[in-house]
Amino acid sequence: MTLVGAIPATALSENRRADLARPIEIDHVTKRYGPNVVVDDLSFTVRPGRVTGFLGPNGAGKSTTMKILLDLASADSGRATIGGSRYRDLRDPARTVGVVLEPNAFHPGRSGRSHLRILADAAGLPVTRVDELLELVGLASAADRRVGAYSLGMRQRLGLAAALLGDPPVLVLDEPGNGLDPQGVRDLRQLLRSRAAKGHTVFVSSHLLAEVEHLADEVIVVNQGRMVTSGALAELQDSATLVRTASPARLTEVIVAAGAAVQLQEHDTILVRGIAIDEIGERAFEAGIALHELSPHSGSLEELFLGWTGVTTAEDVTVPTKEVVSV
Amino acid sequence: MNWLRLVRAELRKLTSTKMPWAFFTVLVAVSATTASAVVWGTDMDGSKAFISTAVDQQSLMAFAANAFMIAGLFGAIAVAREYGHGTVVPTFLAEPRRSRAVSAQLTAVLFGGGMLGVVGAGLTALAVAAALPTTEYTFMISAGSVTRLLAASAFAGAAGAVLGAGIGAVVRNTGGAVAGAVLVLVIAPPLIVQLSTDASSWVPSTLTNVLSGIGDEVGVPGALFALAAWAIVPALIGLLAVERRDVI
Repeated sequence: MTLVGAIPATALSENRRADLARPIEIDHVTKRYGPNVVVDDLSFTVRPGRVTGFLGPNGAGKSTTMKILLDLASADSGRATIGGSRYRDLRDPARTVGVVLEPNAFHPGRSGRSHLRILADAAGLPVTRVDELLELVGLASAADRRVGAYSLGMRQRLGLAAALLGDPPVLVLDEPGNGLDPQGVRDLRQLLRSRAAKGHTVFVSSHLLAEVEHLADEVIVVNQGRMVTSGALAELQDSATLVRTASPARLTEVIVAAGAAVQLQEHDTILVRGIAIDEIGERAFEAGIALHELSPHSGSLEELFLGWTGVTTAEDVTVPTKEVVSV
Repeated sequence: MNWLRLVRAELRKLTSTKMPWAFFTVLVAVSATTASAVVWGTDMDGSKAFISTAVDQQSLMAFAANAFMIAGLFGAIAVAREYGHGTVVPTFLAEPRRSRAVSAQLTAVLFGGGMLGVVGAGLTALAVAAALPTTEYTFMISAGSVTRLLAASAFAGAAGAVLGAGIGAVVRNTGGAVAGAVLVLVIAPPLIVQLSTDASSWVPSTLTNVLSGIGDEVGVPGALFALAAWAIVPALIGLLAVERRDVI
């Protein structure tokens, strides 16, 4: 795959794409399936010019949120918009939003070229874009083979080609790196970063945390349909404080009351988020708790993710409501 | 204009897999069976009275009832597989107003069903014409009657395909859609007739016979309207279901 570099833009000029850069707004969206609340009063904004990672464990509501955004599912309440418009109200959806949702949303008996030609026909895009995109994603030599004979990585690349067909200023991608080989993942990363650098809106859900760590400028983390945290990834990664004390339980009690999120690291060490390092020291001092270490901690995304989503032992983690942040 | 693009995309969907060839094979098999009946078939008394008059030959060649059923299966599979394979998602992303997308799909399926009807009727006519020289009878049907058979089959095929498409949109599973189509096309009509003999004039087989010129239970306009109603009602139900439901 040779996704890096300028995308042949026969459909849109550079200026028009810049004009079309639009934020994604999720505004108090709730979705229920029977008694289950899949998305629970979720609100956030995905800004243009940034790559925004959308994270959460399986069943967190990521895909449902994306489907609501794309009008493939209806919200019970709230509003999801792209540039202020609901998807169904966009004048030219295929030229505005590129989407990767399902890695297997292809007819297995149809060729890759036919799949893209159908999409080009439906969107009123020139057929020449089909060959350009097949070349771009490295599928030109397999274009006339049945999609059923494609590997997962090839299907993923075909999905990316479909998303880029209209050269859209907004990308909504659900697990786009699934099945890609390392080179493909790297090319995808560079492609998305280059799109964001042009002022495009790039919204990517992924469970590949290491990949998101390399790719995303900002992250939105959801769990059980609710926002857990959001913000610039670099700031979030630097926002923790490592505290070593002989009284971790007492200190936890004190600082949780102040709005901190606490994760037990070892028997005498806790990781604190949500309040500043100075405040931790002051509150420990006021409570008469001796601290043996108080230091800024820069965690990996995986470490942060496990803390945010409570995927580790539940009693080890306290996530206060104060940490729920809307962008 | 945009809607025509959608129709073109839907037609490309129908023609870019092996499904049309599978249905063409079915049509060839049906016409070959008809030809075999002409060559080797006899009445109970051992004669070939069943092809001895123009009316008999027209009755043998009337393909509209078959077209209605075969195209019904075609429409059901064509639409249900869109949901099964998830290919309906890019369709609704390209055209989020689902009624427009579904109407384009129905139009394409209608066209495909009409084509199946014409090709089926044409192959059957050719098969009978080719087989008759092996008997003592000649081809007796007028050009006008052949044209009517083709037109009736085209209309029945189009209507059957739209009916099947409606079932496919409701059921969304290929196997289930085929079963639903068989239920509506094959099982339901005799049951309806059993419940009310007056309804026998309005079941598809009777209506297609009227259109083919081999029945007169109702007038041709009435048959056209009634056969269209058999198609439009499930299509509207399917459209309503697609509008109201989440896609995935």
